[in-house]
Amino acid sequence: MKSRFFLLPLTSFVLPGGTAYATVYLSVEQAQALMFPGAMFQSDTRTLTNEQVKAIEHASGVNVRGRQLKLWRVSTGGWFIVDEVVGKHEFIPFALGLDDSGAIKGIEILEYREAYGGQIREPDWRKQFIGKQGGSKLQLNKNIRNISGATLSCKHVTDGMNRLLATYEIAIKESGR
Amino acid sequence: MVTTYMAGNPLQEHRCGGVGRLWYPRLLAIVVLWPSLAHADEPLFGFTYTTDLLPKGKFEVEQWSTTRFAKATGNFWQQENRTELEYGVNDQFQFSLYANYDSTAAYHNGPFGATTPGEPFSYDVPSPDDHYRRSRFIGVSGEAIYRLLSPYTHTVGVALYFEPTIGPGFIEPETRLILQKNFRDDRLVLGFNFTYAPEYRRLPPDTTCMCLAETDVNADFGLSYRFRRNWSAGFEFINERELNSLNFAHEINSAYDFGPVVHYGGKHFFVTATFIAQLPWATTHSDTLPGAIVGGRDFDNDFEKYRVRVKFGWYFGGKEK
Repeated sequence: MKSRFFLLPLTSFVLPGGTAYATVYLSVEQAQALMFPGAMFQSDTRTLTNEQVKAIEHASGVNVRGRQLKLWRVSTGGWFIVDEVVGKHEFIPFALGLDDSGAIKGIEILEYREAYGGQIREPDWRKQFIGKQGGSKLQLNKNIRNISGATLSCKHVTDGMNRLLATYEIAIKESGR
Repeated sequence: MVTTYMAGNPLQEHRCGGVGRLWYPRLLAIVVLWPSLAHADEPLFGFTYTTDLLPKGKFEVEQWSTTRFAKATGNFWQQENRTELEYGVNDQFQFSLYANYDSTAAYHNGPFGATTPGEPFSYDVPSPDDHYRRSRFIGVSGEAIYRLLSPYTHTVGVALYFEPTIGPGFIEPETRLILQKNFRDDRLVLGFNFTYAPEYRRLPPDTTCMCLAETDVNADFGLSYRFRRNWSAGFEFINERELNSLNFAHEINSAYDFGPVVHYGGKHFFVTATFIAQLPWATTHSDTLPGAIVGGRDFDNDFEKYRVRVKFGWYFGGKEK
């Protein structure tokens, strides 16, 4: 085909699209120091059983994608957890600090690989979660404010908090005291 | 219905390819030279729209390429191109402008073996044995999508779509209802569209009249699952109907297509590719053109056995926080 339009679509693929990259905001150690200044951290990796997964999903209403928990016991009391939630294209790794009563002490976004929705790093937005405990049903647009243009990230981080608070109640609390 | 003409009419020569020639290099220059490529939303499907929109203040350039080929007989090939600029006016409203420009080749492809141009070239009436080749600027379209409900915060996402296209001898106000339902952490996406689009064309023998040529009524269904980081795959099922009236009284064609779709979404760009094949489910209706249905498939001038659509998009604009 000698049409002058024939090759136009093909030229799309030789244009630069850019290389995907992640913006790393904090390492695990930096997030630990930020949430629990001066504390020591003892790694406490554990795996959820089938029964625990079911119980967590039932309590939180959120799917449990991974059974392996990345936990650190904090010398000054509480827990430090590293986890991730689904983003638009990639996962969003974050750190969660729980005080010794299981209430949220802090959330830090460790990496953000999406171009949109990065506003979830704003302190004002993350501050909404502080003090929440297992049993507090966190819902976007109800007790958690949405950020316009970052809805998917806000929703999934909120779901992640529900899941980890339920995980604490079901799989961490008893063994941690 | 865009009638298939058996008699030749060599006077019909509306070539506007020069506009397309100017458009594309300019667009390339804009894209290549744009200083701050970023990322945005993107289509998971080739044909089915979802309610995902660009965030406020974000831009996107998309290049569509749809290849339609294979009729019941003869040779047929049609390349439909679209270059589009999208803008997120606010988080519920997205506006786009695009240019459509097509090329085709046809020979002994129509009913009873007559050379029959595809629908965008239906103003042309070649003789039955012509080797027909044309390129044409089809028209400029505006597209507005308003999202009523987001699938991330409501049970079902709902959006309304309006796309008027105006070109040489052609006007089409296309309307669409878009529904989206997400499952499994929003990795499994179901999309459904209902489209109603009357087409007005200047067609022989009375080319002074911009008359109703047909009304397209489509139902599109897509399912896509993000099976790994950045990658989604699924399928699309499309029922495309053409009516000879604004209402549903005079049906001409109804064809069903099905096929796989794969999508890659990166930080700066996306690629979506769909291949659909017509299923042998077509039947004759009140206004079906004689000879258009062959082997259970509809081969009127807007139908063929196979379609491949590739979309490529770049995201840019706005500052990230």
